[in-house]
Amino acid sequence: MAKTLAMFTDTSLCIGCRACQVACKQWNELGAELPEWTGSYQNHHHFTDKTFRLVRFMEEPKPNGEMAWLLMSDVCKHCAQAGCLDACPTGAIHRTEFGTVNINQDICNGCRYCVAACPFGVVSFSHDTGRASKCTFCNDRIHNGLGPACAKACPTESIQFGFRDDLVKKAERRVETLKGMGFKDAQLYGADTKGFLGGLNAFFLLLSKPSTYNLPENPKLPQRNVLVDSLLSLGSALVVGLGALLAFRSRGEGDGDA
Amino acid sequence: MPKPPGWEMMIVWYFFLGGIAGGAYFTAAIADNFGSARDGRVAKIGYLIALPLTALCGLLLTADLGMPTRFLNMMRTFKFWDPMSIGAWAVGIFGLFTFASSVLSFRGSPRAIALRRKVGLVGLFVGFFLASYTGVLLSATALPFWTDARLMGALFLASGASTGMAAISVVMFLTGGSGGPGWGKVKKADRYSMIVELIVLALFLALLGSAARPLTIGHFAPLFWGGLVGLGLIIPLALDLVGHRLKVMGAVSAVLVLVGGFVLRYVVVMSIQS
Repeated sequence: MAKTLAMFTDTSLCIGCRACQVACKQWNELGAELPEWTGSYQNHHHFTDKTFRLVRFMEEPKPNGEMAWLLMSDVCKHCAQAGCLDACPTGAIHRTEFGTVNINQDICNGCRYCVAACPFGVVSFSHDTGRASKCTFCNDRIHNGLGPACAKACPTESIQFGFRDDLVKKAERRVETLKGMGFKDAQLYGADTKGFLGGLNAFFLLLSKPSTYNLPENPKLPQRNVLVDSLLSLGSALVVGLGALLAFRSRGEGDGDA
Repeated sequence: MPKPPGWEMMIVWYFFLGGIAGGAYFTAAIADNFGSARDGRVAKIGYLIALPLTALCGLLLTADLGMPTRFLNMMRTFKFWDPMSIGAWAVGIFGLFTFASSVLSFRGSPRAIALRRKVGLVGLFVGFFLASYTGVLLSATALPFWTDARLMGALFLASGASTGMAAISVVMFLTGGSGGPGWGKVKKADRYSMIVELIVLALFLALLGSAARPLTIGHFAPLFWGGLVGLGLIIPLALDLVGHRLKVMGAVSAVLVLVGGFVLRYVVVMSIQS
């Protein structure tokens, strides 16, 4: 396998210009959508089948009582342990040689299990194509030596593209710098490969706790439930089966009401 | 935040009918293998209920796809840890079992009956699977309530059993066999299943705690408490216990169990998606 590629989104540098969102739309030929009123400059509320990069606008009160913007350009996390990939029954969702997660549109049959299995609500069903869609990590671009369109378009280097190991080191240094500047809640989200979901290949630097950004504090792989729940179902089957056996077992006896 | 998949009425019907098909089949197979010779009628009715329902399940699942012509893409892979993948295989394999058992139900030779019993003995495991995996499928998602429900599969299985047995009772009643051999046994088995279902449901809610709110309070609560717990479990159990000598009572109770089984799938699937 080639070295894992990653995107590092440093929210402390984001100015909310949405160049990434537009570049993503342009490059991936994602159609126009009706806007949604979200109460801020954010559009839309969530990822859609036509919005793979989404700049989130959050407001948080500062110590002096004024409101401060927290901006975050959100994207598919390309999880090392991806719920959507494990859920996909057709094999359409696959991991590329760069460690990213992609949906093969020629195979997807639109069952939508991946939509429900994504801990971040990234995967979206397209009623136009009848298939699931999400960020491709600009698969066509990275296979031709170009970075993802969003990273290329970002004017502040809030979105950086590169080898995962290099980016994590860079990100860790950046957290230290920010802490020195007084951003005491500065933290990385998804950088640790020993952390949740085996690490995210699109990871983030946040200035506040994850829930402020509508991110789960501790996302879990949905498939962790399969074994226990199956065993509990088996237990239920044994009890029910035994009940039926008791009701019908009557060789040589009368048939009750019969 | 996790997104709901947009599985609606077709999936609710599939969960309901798949439960009946699985439940009717394993009940039939148990009656066939462990009951007396006179329980053969129960077995035949169970097999013959499972066959068309399984076919209908396949159609519902296919129609619900975004790309129905690609339904065979489910057969490109086999992921043993993925309920949707094994489930797709199981529906197909279960279809073969219900077909074989149904065909053999029309043959009276001792060899055919012996074969039917053997087929049923293997197929009943697939029936158990079909009745329960849909619950595990929901719990293996990222959505709150579904992902917290450790006993969803166990509950769906108990409900599949009670509705499958209820379906057999209704068909027996309608075809005039209500007082005949097997009726009392199916009703007795159904009572056991309903009691198991009530116990599993209580544990299900207790384990969920506040995560069960989409069911227990709010918009879907009247349907859950009234339609499933009251009308679908407690009243049919009471009817059965009070009037189990009366065939009509037994049939009414079986119809209520079926209603309860549908309400269960409906509230579980729709409550967090609307």
